[in-house]
Amino acid sequence: MGKYSKIKTIIAHEYISKVKTKGFLIGTVLGPLGLVALIGIIVYISMNFGDTSKKLAIVDNEGTIYTELIKKDSSLYYKSEKSIDALKKELQSENIDGYVVIPEDILDKGNVSVYTGGGGGLGLISSLEDNLTSIVRVKRLERLGTDASVIDLIRQKVNVETNKITETGETEKDDTKAMAYVGYGLGFAMYFLVFIYGSFVSRGVIEEKSNRIIEVLASSAKPFEIMMGKVIGIGLVGLTQIIFWLLLGFGLLTILGPLIFGDPESLKTMTDMAEAQGGGMASQTQGMSIPGVDFTLILGFLFYFILGYFTYATFFAGVGAAVDNEQDAAQLQLPITLPIILAIMITPQIMNNPDSTLAVVLSIVPLTSPLIMIVRIAATNVPIIEIAASIAALIGFFFFAVWVSAKIYRIGILMTGKKPKFSDLIKWIRTA
Amino acid sequence: MQNQSNVPVIEVKNVKKQFGDYFANNDISLKVETGTIFGLLGPNGAGKTTLIRMINNIYMPDAGTITIFGNPVSEDTQNQVAYLPEERGLYKKQKVIDQLIYFAQLKGVEKNVAKKRAEQWLIRFDAASWANKKIQDLSKGMAQKVQFISTLLHDPKLLILDEPFSGFDPINAELLKEVILELKSQGKTIILSTHVMHQVEQMCDDMCLINKGKAILQGNVREIKKSFGRDTILLEFEGDASFIVENPSFKIVNQTAHRLELKIIDNNFDSKLFLNELNQRLEVYKYELVEPSFHEIFIQSVKGNEVEIG
Repeated sequence: MGKYSKIKTIIAHEYISKVKTKGFLIGTVLGPLGLVALIGIIVYISMNFGDTSKKLAIVDNEGTIYTELIKKDSSLYYKSEKSIDALKKELQSENIDGYVVIPEDILDKGNVSVYTGGGGGLGLISSLEDNLTSIVRVKRLERLGTDASVIDLIRQKVNVETNKITETGETEKDDTKAMAYVGYGLGFAMYFLVFIYGSFVSRGVIEEKSNRIIEVLASSAKPFEIMMGKVIGIGLVGLTQIIFWLLLGFGLLTILGPLIFGDPESLKTMTDMAEAQGGGMASQTQGMSIPGVDFTLILGFLFYFILGYFTYATFFAGVGAAVDNEQDAAQLQLPITLPIILAIMITPQIMNNPDSTLAVVLSIVPLTSPLIMIVRIAATNVPIIEIAASIAALIGFFFFAVWVSAKIYRIGILMTGKKPKFSDLIKWIRTA
Repeated sequence: MQNQSNVPVIEVKNVKKQFGDYFANNDISLKVETGTIFGLLGPNGAGKTTLIRMINNIYMPDAGTITIFGNPVSEDTQNQVAYLPEERGLYKKQKVIDQLIYFAQLKGVEKNVAKKRAEQWLIRFDAASWANKKIQDLSKGMAQKVQFISTLLHDPKLLILDEPFSGFDPINAELLKEVILELKSQGKTIILSTHVMHQVEQMCDDMCLINKGKAILQGNVREIKKSFGRDTILLEFEGDASFIVENPSFKIVNQTAHRLELKIIDNNFDSKLFLNELNQRLEVYKYELVEPSFHEIFIQSVKGNEVEIG
């Protein structure tokens, strides 16, 4: 029996015993449903609870502005007949959220005061500003006797259609906006998958250690085989799940795609609906179309998942071997989990500025690169040299992870009793 | 491969293993012959587990050599050895049969063969109905049986059993003993590490007593007992035995109302004279001159060794 068959046996055991569990089946089926539900909830909340939590009373001394304001957003503004003193009292007793005083000379001076109990958020002020600006602009033009058709022209928004020139010189529609959101989604998926599967590994290692199974395993195979067998086996479980989801996605797109996206009219209706809702959603969906399936992106995601998972999981295996329970593991894992937490936190900035220096650096630095690079690949045209550097750095770092973890693992699995400190781990790495 | 018939199953030569400043094994040498049961004894922390782990290729010795059937310990020798650690461990959420197959596969057994053997052994241990149960649904004693079976499936030539009887009720302990003796009769070699001394007397051919990382007493169990001589008197009686207790010729090993175990410490002790005295003063039911128990040998040797070390 060669050594390869032992690591194969371990991989097969890890894979089969995980895939056979109810948890895997439930996770695989409910995972996408959960994601859809999550997105649904976020969209629902941003549409229904976006700016409507506060209401502003309008005291219109000019006399014609309030009707236009209420037309813009009846859920935000209402006309008040009360005196300013009465409103002030109501505000003090917190019966109302706030009130806006529109002066008689608004069309000349363009100054408006809003009174609230403090705060209210940036969204509230900027919607008020936006709404008033466009109303006042039209009113001013009307006062000057401008022709209705001219006012109509001014009201029209400019639609920026993004295009990109490909290397072959053709012009293609660029889905920058949509793709930035796709990148954000993929970044989140990467974050969760790497963490979930990484923690499966450390949990497995801790189970074998604390149940003393490891003694039997170590009398049958090399610690390195036991460790990497587990990392690979669980990684394959993750890949199985992702590939299942991809196939499911393709299947749904093929069947349902033409029904939803194929008809340009329905797309337009969707955009119109979003616009009708007002607020942020309209401006976000504007100029955004549904991009086609991008195989480079899918391959990139799979590739970075594999590299990212292996690097993290290997570290997690080493740390798991050093401790007796998961709480202690979480503590020792902090130095390696912080970078990816940082990465997910600044992903929105990366989305907005995928070519910034910060983005470039973080997409090459090993522990953040799996997440940041996938966001960048989705959101922009990443130069090949940067991708190559990022992959090289990550592979190099993976080997470093294997080297460090194998040493910690070898000593750690047979150590029981007091929790080792960082200095102990470093000692193990040096002596082993 | 050397000829197996005259090569010791295990030969440990001048093995040292150090953890930091602490010598877990300090110059240990021993031989285990084919087809014997070898008792590996010693107080807790003496270095037994360290030695067992080195034989299993889990640790590497810092100095010295260990050979199994003449070959240095390696990945290849691992498949010939079975190991039942003192602290048992199984996957709680996995089925009995799946784990048995997995552990056997890790020792190089084909899946089908492993399955067949596992089923046979489960029947032998009256446990066939558990095959598809998870470990977490079994009692401790049941899990112990499963763990023992897991050591047998690769048909090992050498079994290392660390406290194999712990956790078993008397009936199952008897079954286990039967199986161990059966394995011996099939020519397997067994290393038995235990703190239960009467098991050593009953089962072991040879033994090695380790204390503080050193082998302080080793050899054939019968011969070791003999070498201590018939220096112990077992006495059962009726009457007042205080005159015996006060006699400086003896050290009292064990004393109950009608029973005494005495160690003779006076070199000029005359057994006949003492027996006459006993018959005059007591009603004697039993008088036996015996070798010391292994329990006594263990304690004496370890204590004597500590005194030597200072």
